[in-house]
Amino acid sequence: MARFALESIKSFSYDRPEIQKGYAGQTLHVDIANQTFDTRPVDDQMKKIFIGGKGFDLWLLWQAVSPQTQWNDPENAICIASGPLGGTPVYPGSGKSIVTTLSPTTGSPMDSNVGGYFGPYLKFAGFDALEIQGQTDRNLIVYIDGISQQLELLQLDDGPRDAYALTTVLTDHFGQGQPRSISVVSAGPGAEHTLIGCLNFSWYDTKRKRTRFKQAGRGGIGTVFAQKGLRALVVRWGKVTVDTNHPADPETLKKGGKRYSREIAQLDPQQNEMARIGTTHLVSIMSDHDLLPTHNFQFGTHREAANLSQSVYRPIFDPGFDGCWMGCTVACSHGVRDFVPLTGPYKGRKVFVDGPEYETIAGCGSNLGIFDPHTVIEMNFYCDAYGLDTISVGTGIAFVMECFERGLINSTHTGGMEITFGNRLAALALVHQMARGEKFGAIVGQGIRRMKVHLAENCGADPDLMQDIGMEAKGLEFSEYMTKESLAQQGGYGLALKGPQHDEAWLIFLDMVHNLMPTFDQKAEALHWFPMFRTWFGLCGLCKLPWNDIVPPDNKETAEPAKVIKHVQWYAEYFTAVTGRSAAPDDLIAMSEAVYNFQRIFNLRMGFGRREHDCIPYRAIGPVTIEEYESRQERYDSQLQEQYQVDPDGKTTLEKVALLRRFREDRYEQLKDAVYKRRGWTPDGIPTLATVRRLGIDLAPVIAVLEANGIQDDQSR
Amino acid sequence: MIRVADENLPWYEGMTVADLLRDMGETHPYPVVRINTQYVSRPNFTRTVIPDEAVVYLIPMIAGG
Repeated sequence: MARFALESIKSFSYDRPEIQKGYAGQTLHVDIANQTFDTRPVDDQMKKIFIGGKGFDLWLLWQAVSPQTQWNDPENAICIASGPLGGTPVYPGSGKSIVTTLSPTTGSPMDSNVGGYFGPYLKFAGFDALEIQGQTDRNLIVYIDGISQQLELLQLDDGPRDAYALTTVLTDHFGQGQPRSISVVSAGPGAEHTLIGCLNFSWYDTKRKRTRFKQAGRGGIGTVFAQKGLRALVVRWGKVTVDTNHPADPETLKKGGKRYSREIAQLDPQQNEMARIGTTHLVSIMSDHDLLPTHNFQFGTHREAANLSQSVYRPIFDPGFDGCWMGCTVACSHGVRDFVPLTGPYKGRKVFVDGPEYETIAGCGSNLGIFDPHTVIEMNFYCDAYGLDTISVGTGIAFVMECFERGLINSTHTGGMEITFGNRLAALALVHQMARGEKFGAIVGQGIRRMKVHLAENCGADPDLMQDIGMEAKGLEFSEYMTKESLAQQGGYGLALKGPQHDEAWLIFLDMVHNLMPTFDQKAEALHWFPMFRTWFGLCGLCKLPWNDIVPPDNKETAEPAKVIKHVQWYAEYFTAVTGRSAAPDDLIAMSEAVYNFQRIFNLRMGFGRREHDCIPYRAIGPVTIEEYESRQERYDSQLQEQYQVDPDGKTTLEKVALLRRFREDRYEQLKDAVYKRRGWTPDGIPTLATVRRLGIDLAPVIAVLEANGIQDDQSR
Repeated sequence: MIRVADENLPWYEGMTVADLLRDMGETHPYPVVRINTQYVSRPNFTRTVIPDEAVVYLIPMIAGG
């Protein structure tokens, strides 16, 4: 066991409220600079408009910051919430926490949806949300003990730096012999030394007798955490049953939960086997459909992709129950036992690795031209241990590798490293450098947007080419799907509020493979409905996987199979059973629409949230280079001919690249028009006053932001 | 004999995934099927041969991460 010392700085007693219909009825505000704890009531209007989870987080964050607040200002808050349905043990996927803060890489509100026990335990300890402000240099731990009803600030000395070791010692210390009663949130040295830090949320795996992790990965939330001087958040709670939320209709809830659990237990083995192989099945499927990013999103398939497929990871994963919340039958959080890293501080020692999932395999594998499953596992392990986001690490290193191969940078800029595609040791070395904040890794750890500036100014790299191939939008690195052939998914990424993460909309198969939305209006409708419904999971403390990764056999007979409307109906019943607030499927969309538009206006308040901020690099839209074009020449030539009535014969590849670009960029702008109109926004991408009134978010500060940005009553859609 | 969706179906030499779906009269645009533990995507349906005694699963949807 690692050496450490904990010194109590301040502690408070509090009276824990009973949970009523999924709500604790109060939030907890912690100012770590002034060492104060404060509880604030959750009123009916807050529940009605913001529902919970991400909605509560955003409302708290809005009140905490001003339009001038930067990510590293003390008033920037980290907000963590479960949601009214969160913590229900019989209902699959009901243990999520949602985290928000102002992002170091985007400057706007960032949100991340993460498993582990923290959010539910926080709520059962008496708080619908936790808001942390302030800064300190004292290596603080915030401890919330829901059993003894104590809040405590502690200073950690000599504790381990990496997240795995820290979580283990804190779970042991605070668990008092009952480690399952503890959940820890921590970052790591990578979060401290980069802008792409993640947070690790833990739960205790009683069968394996060890702490396990899921990550709130995107947008540098871990960096804000580390910069505040926080080392960990710890919550303690005891027994959880279906009645702990005191649902309005427990019998209906139990019946619905059992029905859903049974369906998953029956169908998942016949469908994607997520309880056995997680999301690894996606690797070969994406490669087969030309959708697996390889070599910095240049290409969508690779002959060695099978080396990273589920058939390789299936025997590597440690068999057993892998739910990141109690009783979840999806149970997709697999891990690797007794992995021995070849590099870094754990070199030669057996470790347990939580993962990898599809995103990490594609980001730290195929997108880097690395097709060695063990290197991916090692990247996964060290990113978690250091508190780094595997997606931003992967996409960022992929960008650097392409810059190196195209001669935009050379080994004099990289500290002597040959950062070429497929160079496994270089990729791992960069991760270790990021953790230490040194050498070229320190530059990569700033994220692609800042890297583009640095490489142009210090290495003479071509800024226009970097703009085309640097896969970031709004400052956030792309997650791991190719979008060149799916206009709808270009919108799914480009119009996502926080930046290009697929959790708002994943429309590639509907659009590209099934061709179910050929018109702009159909794409716009999908880019309305799917982001709204997916947002709803984050409001309630839920995981979206049970909704559409395991589907009923008769779903294919429904009018719109992609919506899996039977499950949407079940979720409406679930919401009603817990909260007592009667809801139909359309009501769930309306709930999300209010919060979604509020977040868009929050972006606007922070200086973003307009049409110009929804642009994406051309690599996401079409072929940037001659090699990309010629690798799919037949496809692109026929598109020029059939869609744009341009005869490709006699034209050079360079000319065809330019023509295709003009057409495709124009289509993307037309898509924006259609989506803004569908969402009730102006042509500049701002919600109209009529829209915010319809959604019931016409709060005075919201209206003030719109008016300050020139939105007036007569502005039509 | 192969097993598909809890039913036994006759098998023949050289039977591909595309053959199977056609023989079943299946019109749903399945993007992926699984043969035992191997996932096969639609672009490979016509060239993937199903072995005798296989268990075939028709995967209704791929929903992304």
